[in-house]
Amino acid sequence: MIPAQFDYIAAKNLDEALQLLAQHKDNAKILAGGHSLIPAMKLRLMQPGVLIDISKIKDLAYIREEGGQVRIGAMTTHYQIESSDLLRRVCPLLTDAAPHLGDVQVRNKGTLGGSLAHADPAADWPAPILALGAEMVVSGAKGERVIKAEEFFVDLLTTALQPGEILREIRFAVSKGKAGQSYVKFRHPASGFAVVGVAVSLTKDAADKCQSASVGITGVAAKAYKATGVENALKGAALDDKSLRAAAAHAADGVTVNSDLFASAEYRKHLAEIYTRRALEQAASRA
Amino acid sequence: MKIEGSHTIPAPRDRVFAALTDPDVLQKCIPGCEELQKTADNQYSAKLSAGVGSIKAVFTATVCLEEVTPPTHYKLVVEGKAQPGFVKGTGSLDLAEKDGGTEINYTGDVNVGGMLASVGQRMLQATANMLAGKFFSTLEAETKG
Repeated sequence: MIPAQFDYIAAKNLDEALQLLAQHKDNAKILAGGHSLIPAMKLRLMQPGVLIDISKIKDLAYIREEGGQVRIGAMTTHYQIESSDLLRRVCPLLTDAAPHLGDVQVRNKGTLGGSLAHADPAADWPAPILALGAEMVVSGAKGERVIKAEEFFVDLLTTALQPGEILREIRFAVSKGKAGQSYVKFRHPASGFAVVGVAVSLTKDAADKCQSASVGITGVAAKAYKATGVENALKGAALDDKSLRAAAAHAADGVTVNSDLFASAEYRKHLAEIYTRRALEQAASRA
Repeated sequence: MKIEGSHTIPAPRDRVFAALTDPDVLQKCIPGCEELQKTADNQYSAKLSAGVGSIKAVFTATVCLEEVTPPTHYKLVVEGKAQPGFVKGTGSLDLAEKDGGTEINYTGDVNVGGMLASVGQRMLQATANMLAGKFFSTLEAETKG
């Protein structure tokens, strides 16, 4: 289908994009990679009057490490993450997760910031971003603010971004010590979205017990969430088969599990537990 | 698609029932309801701009109240059409007194068709839950004090 008529403006820099957004308000949408927005516009589920393209702003696409902290510009594409030697070394969770997204075309155009700001309940990125305890740096008319990943995802397709704000950067601390990470996913065979996606980032102490565990789950509920039940069950536990199984049983604690034609709530909850166990096993074996 | 749930509102049952059958209150409670006009007894026409996030569709709908049994029960029948699809739904609401408040139990059957259903299928249940949550939290605010 063909979208309704709209105006297109390529912003030269972030300040210009913010000004344009302040000027056009609700009538405008920020265009990043466009792989969620444009299909929705073609189906006329969204009919913005103006698209403000920020994908051409070079300053917003970068991957850097400074003082134990990784900073990723919001317009960094999925492929740039997938192929980053720096990330493969300091944060393999992201380079592991990236190939799970869509297909090559999507990964070449789609961006980390665009995906996070869209907040699809089955998108891959929210799970590792939660597991990394990342922070979102957001720019608006009043300046900058930082939102924790856990507070960023509010509900179905809804984030803590306020009108007039643009997600600029995603940053997180590099894991220290004996650290292991993993992302495993049950992929919907047609859409490629996560029926269930589980990201784990954990560290072991000197006795090889679990020192810290952070688990992000996508696809299971209306928004991606931190599986605090799993995390608490693991703290100080031996990372053996029995305790990983017991912890994984808490994968869907406290959330309303999605149900659709492909997977009932019961089946999806079962998958969440199985995939959480697998992600924990893999992360533990890598730590 | 079935939806069901319950919600407890800290207000007397008579007041909650009156609110649930008052078009002014209903208009505020139904998420995205821009217009609600009475066309006959217990029958209304509505314009809804419903959606999640920035995905929205504008529905023209008819809303009928059936089996109205104050202050315990009624049935809500909604039929709506939008450019990308249609929604037909019935919902039964039962009100019980509980600890000085009112417990509303609802069960419903919602059919969504057209493109809305084919592209939005995986999000329909979560959308229905979200809209029901908004409805009852507004109702709670409207029946306060």
